[in-house]
Amino acid sequence: MSRIIDIGLEELSVMLCRMGELTYQAISLSLKGCLNGTNEHSQVCEMSDALVSMSEQAEDKAFELIARFQPVASDLRTIKSYMKIAYDFARYGRYALDISYINEQYGGLKHCEHWILEHIEKMSEKVLDMVRISIDSLRKHDVKLAETISKTEKEVDSMYFRYLDELVKRASGTNKCTISSVLIVRYLERIADHATYICESVVYVATGQKVNLR
Amino acid sequence: MSYKIEIENLNAWFSGKQVLRDITMKIKENMVTSIIGPSGCGKTTLIRCLNRMHELTPGAKATGRVLLDGGDIYSEGIDPVTVRRRIGMVFQKPNPFPMMSIYDNTVAGLKLNGVSDKHRLDETVEKSLRAAHLWDEVKADLGKSGASLSGGQQQRLCIARALAIEPEVILMDEPTSALDPTAASKIEQLIRVLSQDYTVIIVTHNMQQAARVSDCTAFLYLGKLVEYGSTKDIFENPKSELTEKYITGEFG
Repeated sequence: MSRIIDIGLEELSVMLCRMGELTYQAISLSLKGCLNGTNEHSQVCEMSDALVSMSEQAEDKAFELIARFQPVASDLRTIKSYMKIAYDFARYGRYALDISYINEQYGGLKHCEHWILEHIEKMSEKVLDMVRISIDSLRKHDVKLAETISKTEKEVDSMYFRYLDELVKRASGTNKCTISSVLIVRYLERIADHATYICESVVYVATGQKVNLR
Repeated sequence: MSYKIEIENLNAWFSGKQVLRDITMKIKENMVTSIIGPSGCGKTTLIRCLNRMHELTPGAKATGRVLLDGGDIYSEGIDPVTVRRRIGMVFQKPNPFPMMSIYDNTVAGLKLNGVSDKHRLDETVEKSLRAAHLWDEVKADLGKSGASLSGGQQQRLCIARALAIEPEVILMDEPTSALDPTAASKIEQLIRVLSQDYTVIIVTHNMQQAARVSDCTAFLYLGKLVEYGSTKDIFENPKSELTEKYITGEFG
C-alpha cells in the first residue's frame, strides 16, 4: 500500500520532468537563433512564460505537501530540493529568453568574427550537455550521473574567463569599457530583479497574496 | 553539556520475555528527549526502568546500569522510593485522585512523605500549579475536585503533582494522547518551559510532537535502540534506513 504523500511527490516529480524537457527546448532554440541568425524570440518567450507558471504550480504543490503531511527525512529533503529545482528550471527559461532577446534586439552572432562564433558554439554545446545531465539525473535519480557535471562545470567556467581575456586582449580602450560595462549592468539588473523577488516574498509573508512587482 | 542519566547495557523482561535489549544511551541535562517507535517496541518499559517502576510489575526484571548524576539507581541499598522522588512520572491518561481537591491532588506526594506544615503546603501548591501553567485557571477553586477539571487541565494538575515533590527528571508517557489538540499544544509548550529547570524524557507515538518538542530523539525497534541523536538530524537526515522508514510512515 503506497503512502498518501507518495501521490503528491509523484505529481511533483512528473511536473519537474516536464519542466526539464521544456527548458532544454527553450535553451536550444534560443542558442540556435543566435548562432544561425534566425529569430525564435516569440516561441522562447512562450516557453519561458510556461516555465514560470509551472514553477509556481510546483511551488504550490510542494507547499501543500508540507502543510498537509509534515514531511520528514527523505520526503522533506525531496520537497525542499524539488522547490529549488523548479525555481532553477524557471531560471533556465529566463536565461533562454534573455539570449533570444539579445538576438532579436542586437542581432545574433552569425556575422561575428570566426573565433567568437566558434567559442560560443563550443560553450553552447558544453552547457547544453550540462542541462541534459541535470534533467536526466533528476529523472533517473542518478547520483553518479549528477556527479559527472562537476568536470564540465569547471570547463565552462574556464571557457568563460578565457573568452573575456581574449576579448579584452583584442579590444581597444573604449571597447574594454564596453565589455566591463555590459557585464556590470547585467549583474546590476540581476540584483535589482532579486531585490524585487524579495519584496514580493515580503508581501506574501504578510498578506498571503502573491503579487508581481516586476 | 553534562549528562543527567546514563543508561548502560539495559535489558528488561516481562515474565521471561525480553522487551529491551542492551540499551546504552546518555540523556542530556535540561533537555527534552523523545523516545519514539512502533507499539510494543519497549518505549514505555524503557522509561519505567529509569525510575524503577518496571520492577513493580509481577514477573518483571531488568539488568544493566542506570546512572543518575553518576550514581547507579539499581545499586544495592538504593531505595526505589527515593529514586522515584528524584525522577517523577506523568502518565498517558490524566489520573488525578478523583476524591481529592485540586489543592490536595497537588500536594498528595508531599503529604504521603509526611509534610503537614500548612504554610509549606500552600507555597508548594501555588509554585507547582504556576510551574504547570494552571494556577491562573484554578486559583479561585482550589477546593474543587480535581476530576471537575477538563482533560488538559487534569493533565497539567498531574504535572503539578509531579513537580510538587521537586524531582530532577520528569518522565512523560504519551502525555497528550488522551487530549484534544488545544490541550495537547498547551502541554507541549509546558514541556519546553519545564526543560529550563528539569530534564524531560517523553514517550510519544506522535512523531510531529517529538519533532516539535524535543532536543534529542531516540528510535526504538523490537527492544533495540536503532538510532539516537539530535532531533534535527533524526528528522532531516536519519542515518538508519529503519528510522527513515518509520518516521516517513513506511512501516509501524
